[in-house]
Amino acid sequence: MSMLTRRRPEARAQTRAGAPKRPRTRRRSFWIGVAFASPFIIGFLGLFAYPILASGYYSFTDFNLFQSPDWVGLDNYEQMANDDVFWKSLANTLVLAVMGVPLTIAIALGGAHLLNTPIKGQPLYRAFIYLPSIIPVVVGGYLWRWLLNTQYGFVNYFLSWFGITGPSWLQEPDWTKPAIVLVVLWTVGGTMIIYLAALKDVPHELYEAASIDGAGPWRRFLNVSWPTVSPVTLFQVIVCLIAYLQIFTEPYVLAQERLNNISSGPDQSMLTYAMYLYQNAFVYLKMGYASAMAWVLFIVTLIVTLVVLASSKRWVHYGSQ
Amino acid sequence: MKNSFFSTARSRRLGAVAIAATAALTLAGCSGGGNSDGPTTIKFSYLWSGPEAEVLESIIEDFNDSQDDIVVKGVSSPDQQKQLTSMSSSNGSFDISDNFGENVGSWASKGVLAPLDEYIESESIDLDDFAPAALEQMKHDGQTYALPIAVHSFQLLYNKTLLDEAGVEPPTTMDELADAIEKLTITDDSGKITQLGIGDANTTTTLTTLGFAFGGAWSDDDGPTPTDPGNVEAVDWWQKNVVELVGADNLADFKAGEGQYLSAEDSFFSGKVAMIIDGEWRAASASEVAPDLDWGVTAIPAASPKLENSTQVTSSTLFIPTNSKHKDEAATFLAYLLSPEVMEKFSLTLGNLPARTSLLDSDAYKDLPNFEVWANALTSPNAQSLASAPYSAEYSTDLGNAFDDVVRGKSTAEKALDYVTSRTKSYAK
Repeated sequence: MSMLTRRRPEARAQTRAGAPKRPRTRRRSFWIGVAFASPFIIGFLGLFAYPILASGYYSFTDFNLFQSPDWVGLDNYEQMANDDVFWKSLANTLVLAVMGVPLTIAIALGGAHLLNTPIKGQPLYRAFIYLPSIIPVVVGGYLWRWLLNTQYGFVNYFLSWFGITGPSWLQEPDWTKPAIVLVVLWTVGGTMIIYLAALKDVPHELYEAASIDGAGPWRRFLNVSWPTVSPVTLFQVIVCLIAYLQIFTEPYVLAQERLNNISSGPDQSMLTYAMYLYQNAFVYLKMGYASAMAWVLFIVTLIVTLVVLASSKRWVHYGSQ
Repeated sequence: MKNSFFSTARSRRLGAVAIAATAALTLAGCSGGGNSDGPTTIKFSYLWSGPEAEVLESIIEDFNDSQDDIVVKGVSSPDQQKQLTSMSSSNGSFDISDNFGENVGSWASKGVLAPLDEYIESESIDLDDFAPAALEQMKHDGQTYALPIAVHSFQLLYNKTLLDEAGVEPPTTMDELADAIEKLTITDDSGKITQLGIGDANTTTTLTTLGFAFGGAWSDDDGPTPTDPGNVEAVDWWQKNVVELVGADNLADFKAGEGQYLSAEDSFFSGKVAMIIDGEWRAASASEVAPDLDWGVTAIPAASPKLENSTQVTSSTLFIPTNSKHKDEAATFLAYLLSPEVMEKFSLTLGNLPARTSLLDSDAYKDLPNFEVWANALTSPNAQSLASAPYSAEYSTDLGNAFDDVVRGKSTAEKALDYVTSRTKSYAK
């Protein structure tokens, strides 16, 4: 930036001197800009825009990935309404989101407060908390499968220290969803780090002023921290919600019985929307149906996000206003 | 925004670099084909990994050394979906690959598998030598689209020590099996299962195999037949004699504590399960992870004398995708892989049954314990395969869910299989 401002008079002088050249140089810099942006532009057109438009078209066809699609109108959408596995997968996903999002926010915010306290070894704790996030999800998933085993796993062994008999995490339909949320929460460090950054921005004087007024830790949190980080919370809630609505890897790995086998857990309790979509597309080769499901998920996500945004007026505080 | 940093020559160079880099990124992967003279290179992408991949690589090396026209490059790629997407483009990434018998019909009906009949003739592959139950799955609309390199059959394995302790003889009828299960199931004072009479390696394969053993059929020419009387009887039998014996919740608890399949913590290998219906690959892994286990195999008990030696046959298949540019060369290599010596070498490493019946008596398999019981079942007239049809994947998922409901005590056999019938209407055709 500094280079740019320093050279500006010179540059201006140059263009004034060679006035007729101006459009050409401008056009050239336009194309240079495009050239530099081309990895993104090509990627966006090829990897996002085209697939999105194509899936919109496929959702009205019977398409098996290999032969040319047949137009079937709204058949796929009608079939969805009558497909109880579809409804089951949608319900499973919503339950996961309702359980997971508040927990993620609460743990991330609470953890960020702890990581923000000035104690010895603070950077080390921050690193530890973030560490699981850099482990590939599949590896983490397999690790947790073993940790959650009732016979050989550590989780139930740990619970037994306190006299608690742990549940059959991956075999009882009622416990599979908490198990999935637990595995997702393992990587809560990423969210926590964002909160940590937000907490660093809370003016220290506010805490001091609150303390002088006799506010305890809970009051200080409620009246200082929470309102200040509420725009970040809005962002986190939306990102987290979208992540839960599209959740795939954790339940896929936890439910899997054998490699390349289609599994959805006991009583199909781990079959999420994205898993069923994937099964339709790449196992049953019903790409048309899968595309229609993708569009429904998009609309559901949009509605849920808009509802959260609409509600945010009541609870998000922007400092300058 | 103009500044002298982007002076003309420099900017042109930089722009060119950016464009070249982008082009390189987008074009990577579309590398050109082989040259006209010299050997043709073909790519063999296989789902196997580990020791199986090692033996395959040595087979590929032998092949490459044996002639000068074809060079085979092997790649281990255990991801089935990647395999599938590669076949959907006009330029595939491999010329020959492997999969399982139940997918042949679905893929062949979509035109992604090259028909092999002309190559079977030109390479003189003798189909009469192959296990009939396995060959059935390889066909679609009268044409052959894949060939089996290894096949699998299911039999009843038992822990000799546990049977001796309980004074039980290996069962030969379903009633004897039920009786044995009862005697071999042990619960502790709190009602928790400490030893299970019969386990299931995989509920779907166990119950579809039992369906055949009760004289059922899972499909006919018109499509799926989940409620065939034999199937209902088999699932009902399992519910009464295995699930209700200990209680569904109790059974689920037991299953939750089972170790990884085929590991040393596998319930059959660790002696927590007295009997199990599973395939011949158990023989190879038993000698590896449970060398001290004293175990035997017997035919799956017959529900009636004419159903003796009933079993389910599945197969590992080789195929050539339609988008391969070197089908002739791939076929030559395919024939090499299926030749008796190579098939023997390969199936022996996996502890699998060879697809050629002439190899079943080979001394090479002698060292695998109890191997002959599985081998004998292969030629039985009651050896059957699940149909390989466009709907196979959906059907097996729905059957799995139905069996799960039964095992969990949430549904009766009849109700669960009726539900599968209602699902079949939306299946891919």
